[in-house]
Amino acid sequence: MARKPRDNEHTCPHGVSRRGFLGSLGAGAVAAATLGRPGETAPPEVADAVEPSKVTLLVNGRRHRLLVEPRWTLLHVLRERLGLTGSKPGCERGECGACTVLIDGVPRYACLTLALEAEGHEVTTIEGLMRGEELGPTQQAFAAEDAFQCGYCTPGQIMAAEGLLRAKPAPTVAEIRLGMSGNLCRCGAYPHIVKAVRRAAEARKGGGR
Amino acid sequence: MDVPVQRVVRPRTLDEALVMLAEQPRSRPIAGGTDLMVQLRDGRRSADTLVDLDGLDLAGVHEVDLGVEIGAATTMDAIARHPLVRRRWPALAEAAALVGAWPIQCRATLGGNLANASPAADAVPPLLVADAAVRLASPSGERTIALERFFRGPGTTVMAPGELIVAVLLPAPSAGRVVERFVKVGPRREQIISMVSLAGRAVVSADGTLHDVRVALGAVAPIPVRARRVEAHLEGRRPDAATRREAAARLQADIAPIDDLRAPAAYRRIAAAVLLDRFLEACHG
Repeated sequence: MARKPRDNEHTCPHGVSRRGFLGSLGAGAVAAATLGRPGETAPPEVADAVEPSKVTLLVNGRRHRLLVEPRWTLLHVLRERLGLTGSKPGCERGECGACTVLIDGVPRYACLTLALEAEGHEVTTIEGLMRGEELGPTQQAFAAEDAFQCGYCTPGQIMAAEGLLRAKPAPTVAEIRLGMSGNLCRCGAYPHIVKAVRRAAEARKGGGR
Repeated sequence: MDVPVQRVVRPRTLDEALVMLAEQPRSRPIAGGTDLMVQLRDGRRSADTLVDLDGLDLAGVHEVDLGVEIGAATTMDAIARHPLVRRRWPALAEAAALVGAWPIQCRATLGGNLANASPAADAVPPLLVADAAVRLASPSGERTIALERFFRGPGTTVMAPGELIVAVLLPAPSAGRVVERFVKVGPRREQIISMVSLAGRAVVSADGTLHDVRVALGAVAPIPVRARRVEAHLEGRRPDAATRREAAARLQADIAPIDDLRAPAAYRRIAAAVLLDRFLEACHG
């Protein structure tokens, strides 16, 4: 919690990852495809009208200075600019919760948040719950209770649980169901998710963060 | 997925925000963004410039001479948890706890719920039975209008371009034994846009008769409505079985539901009558 923010000038904090490598391949392919069609008319200048702003985002205790376009969501910037691909795009209309992060400790759908709105606030993603190479208590509880099948919604579920437990350290089952109601799991792991949140609450009580 | 806007400005004061809204062409205020972000992507609303109200001091529940003033940027979560709101305007607290799901409630604001002007907006029926008024600001000054005259139709209000909702005023409720409820119908408790919603409040006398009865419904007309015929019928009566039957019948003339993807009109008429009956049952008990 009390980790000091560190300055971090580059956009991908962890060097070349598998995803970063694949991502750059993808970008190259798009560029090549665009160049390969000389006769085509230029696309409408929507992008030109948009002026990027220089902002500082505080994500998982690190300061990132980057150029952000007004139309970018926080989810886009986390995934595509900062390489933090734990937050998932799902419905992208604030219904499924796969993109849930914490802003100033409160769960927030990153798909409904403009990146520019996040400036001046503390953003925490699933990656920020790690303690070094170890899983944090809420993450551990989800693994221990087998609270997922395909796992796609899981980072969002865990962030919602984390936010709930920060607001209500000892929630009742009814409070867990309400607190987690903004996160859908199409595999239907809900009973295990509720158990995992209870386990996480216990773990945190015993000195967990 | 990108949101098709070209500029986001972040004013520090209300005056700055009002100037920006007035001077920037095709600008819109954004607070929680829980409706607006989706609508911008869908093309249902558009804006070149978003004026982010986050840095303004527009949140909070304040006691004033006549009742309370709820700042436009107060979140549903804050309203649902506020002790004074829960005690004196319980229907509003109940409705706020039923908007979207918890992450939505932590972001969605009361002002946004009004500005969005959905016929199904959950916070509106409780505000209508509270006789709420809306305080609007623009560079040329402020005005306060009754909430009942605020909506024009689905998605539209009487606000002039550049006007901003700054607060909602709730006059102190009448004294006596008050029964107040908010009830809604939908396929699930959370993340659901109401098929029908109803807020009711009544003063129940010692002899069981109802006074100062107010009933408002959402999602049964182009705008949230007061059920005036129902209110008039119930005034001074005991909510016995015959009175309740008659009230349900009169309700049908107070509402004008449509068929849409959430429910057919015929279902809405039945559900509205059921919700009214639930409220009157609570008054009877």
